[in-house]
Amino acid sequence: MTAVELMNVTKKYHKHLALNGLDVNIKKDVMTGVIGRNGVGKTTMMKMIAGFVQETSGTIRVFGESPFNNLTVSANVLFVDDAMQFAQTMSLHDILKECKRFYPNWDHALADRLVQYFGFHLDARHRYLSKGKKNTFNAIIGIAARCALTLFDEPITGMDAGVRKDFYRALLKDYIAHPRTILLSSHHFEEMEDLLEDVLIIQNGKAHFHGSVTELQEMLISLKGNGEILASAAAGKTVVYQQKSGPYTEWLVENTFTAAELDRLKSKRVIATPVSANSAYLALTEQRTGGIDDVFA
Amino acid sequence: MLEMDGSKPIYVQIAEWLEKEIIDETLKSDEKVYSQYQLADLFNINPATAGKGLTLLIDAEIIYKRRGLGTFVASDAREKLLAKRKVHTLHRLIEELLDEAELLGIDEQHLLSKIRATRNKREGDLR
Repeated sequence: MTAVELMNVTKKYHKHLALNGLDVNIKKDVMTGVIGRNGVGKTTMMKMIAGFVQETSGTIRVFGESPFNNLTVSANVLFVDDAMQFAQTMSLHDILKECKRFYPNWDHALADRLVQYFGFHLDARHRYLSKGKKNTFNAIIGIAARCALTLFDEPITGMDAGVRKDFYRALLKDYIAHPRTILLSSHHFEEMEDLLEDVLIIQNGKAHFHGSVTELQEMLISLKGNGEILASAAAGKTVVYQQKSGPYTEWLVENTFTAAELDRLKSKRVIATPVSANSAYLALTEQRTGGIDDVFA
Repeated sequence: MLEMDGSKPIYVQIAEWLEKEIIDETLKSDEKVYSQYQLADLFNINPATAGKGLTLLIDAEIIYKRRGLGTFVASDAREKLLAKRKVHTLHRLIEELLDEAELLGIDEQHLLSKIRATRNKREGDLR
């Protein structure tokens, strides 16, 4: 079943195209990671799904309805980011109480335990929290609200390493107990890839890759060895990335080699190794104009 | 328990971990296998990934499904795994050993005597 559908969606901010014909289907009750370099349109896409931003053209369906200005979608979707606004006079305690009133699936006992575990003072004001604390509190709301669709936009910004680890674990445990559709954007793909089922890579306002983390991980293979041997081995295959360091050349190539082919390469002193999902992501989104080294050349 | 180094897909590592549990008889014949949700919680991974690991073993007929009850260890699972390991794992290790020996210029006689010596030393340590 599909929870979110985007068909040929574009978004223009003045003359700038933030999204450029995005086609995506997000499966229901799946945890999907949304990744991509800065400024590729991740936040724009997530805000559109939440109904905060209207599409310039194309069609968006969230649980079968257009999300913009839609009460049903608003009631079932929660968008969590570092700019969540709460009434300035309310304490954290008041905010949690209001959440309980507002979200039908809200687990107040869980929210209480999480708030206590992460060391919040319930009489504190949201706007005076540090960046990391603010995001931790917002993430707690995202987990405890148990909305049918929860969008976390860069939830871990400012969290220390320990809190990040706890947040991932809390989210996973609650997701296992209460499966729901979750979108999670982050620049720390390597930290969250085990947590995810699917991954959506956005580049240049389009879906560059959308599939399971496992597919991404098995898509490429790294070959290291003599450049000429690599060239003949990879003939007819897509080469995603090439790097030369000293006598060795490393190529990331689409992983369609048979075991026999790999054995033959091994006898020619080519080292073949699997490529982690994160390395595959970095290779796939490499700037075509070259690497950072070229800036200093 | 798992490497989690990204070099091997997690679901393969899950399947291998379960194989180990069966071989060392932590999981015995016809005993219930951990559900994908238990595995997800145990290893901090997505339940779908854990499910893929279980599917791998179901396809290899190491474990079997009972509708509504979960998955269970096949009665001949351990024998199957041991046979597979003997063939595959040992073969792979021997290949690696021979590669290394060739690189170091160690001949067959020398290699065999080294294996024998290590084995004797181990047995001595155990006694």
